[in-house]
Amino acid sequence: MSFLQNFHLSPGQTIRSTRGFKWNTTANHADTPLSPQKDRPLSNVPINGNVENSWSTPTKTPRYAQQPPSGPDGLAALQESRTHQIPQLGSDGNVTDFNYTPSHQQPFLQPTEGTTVTSHQDLKHIVEMTLGSEGVLNQAVKLPRGENENEWLAVHCVDFYNQINMLYGTITEFCSPQSCPRMIATNEYEYLWAFQKGQPPVAVSAPKYVECLMRWCQDQFDDETIFPAKTSGQFPSNFISKYVVQMLRRLFRVYAHMYCHHFNEILELNLQTVLNTSFRHFCLFAQEFGLLKPADFGPLLELVIELRDR
Amino acid sequence: PSHSPKKLPRGFHEKASSHKTQRLVSVCQMFFLDYYCDMFDYVISRRQRTRKVLEYLSQQKALKHIDNDILNSEWSGYVYKEHEILRKRRLKPKHKDFE
Ligand SMILES: [Zn+2]
Repeated sequence: MSFLQNFHLSPGQTIRSTRGFKWNTTANHADTPLSPQKDRPLSNVPINGNVENSWSTPTKTPRYAQQPPSGPDGLAALQESRTHQIPQLGSDGNVTDFNYTPSHQQPFLQPTEGTTVTSHQDLKHIVEMTLGSEGVLNQAVKLPRGENENEWLAVHCVDFYNQINMLYGTITEFCSPQSCPRMIATNEYEYLWAFQKGQPPVAVSAPKYVECLMRWCQDQFDDETIFPAKTSGQFPSNFISKYVVQMLRRLFRVYAHMYCHHFNEILELNLQTVLNTSFRHFCLFAQEFGLLKPADFGPLLELVIELRDR
Repeated sequence: PSHSPKKLPRGFHEKASSHKTQRLVSVCQMFFLDYYCDMFDYVISRRQRTRKVLEYLSQQKALKHIDNDILNSEWSGYVYKEHEILRKRRLKPKHKDFE
């Protein structure tokens, strides 16, 4: 991995913050077209006589191998281009603790076990043993047979929101406006918040950003025209491209901030297993439905590749 | 015991060992254990239900030569019920604004 080699910082190394890569949260290049995602009508799912075959034990072959979101060359090309974006160590005197390096985090990722869950036997035990095992999560993200894709994605939006809320809530003591005056992930990415539609987004502290983001998610969940609660309620026609992608893209930034600036604390608190599990689940889900592009993974791209390839 | 090779912010260990932080950490771990148990339980149960329905439908088709339209509408009815269950999972009260 050329990017990794070129960008090797020893753990905990302090580098100077230089140019801010400003991520424009209002820009709607956000809403790029997705791979075709049609609503599957509930009534027209054909019955496949080949029952056994279609419900046999999940395979271990990662779907990714056949269907990478934008092709392996795309990822490689992106990695190449990223090497040109490494900030020049500058002179504005703003020292930022930079504790994200893939090599630092690698030993703390769980080894892959090929376990698959096929029965209720010892479920709790299996969960404890294999939390983070790709084989299990890989299967769990798949759209259940006959299910409406929008509903499946909506449930996961809520689930990941809850997971991130829980994870970040546990480290709020360590992420304050003093420790994190800007919502950054490494020194290359800064995420801004637009308080009003049409207003330019502004830099805010990390806790402020997360607070705004969580409230924004809540407002979306509470909006019956976006996340219908009634049995008869329908999803908007652009539900995935406009709402799901946007929400996952933003929720990702909380993972990015936690990995890049609080991973050491998370390790000390022994929360790396749940963080890695949650993030791997998030990535597998986004990948399964082609929801995020490699560029959306910005500062964590190498980690994502590491999780995918293991 | 620290396996972490890097520096931590000043005052980290006092905060980390505080009762409040310890409680938050164990609540967080319990939350994830519960979540994944429940989620796998749901996914597995649902697969088993679907398998039974499909088996039943293909038996009906093979043995009694029942019309495809009827079988399809039975399948649709089943799928609709599952859809309602899934929606309820999304709406069930969860840890909101945790703290
Ligand atoms: Zn922070």
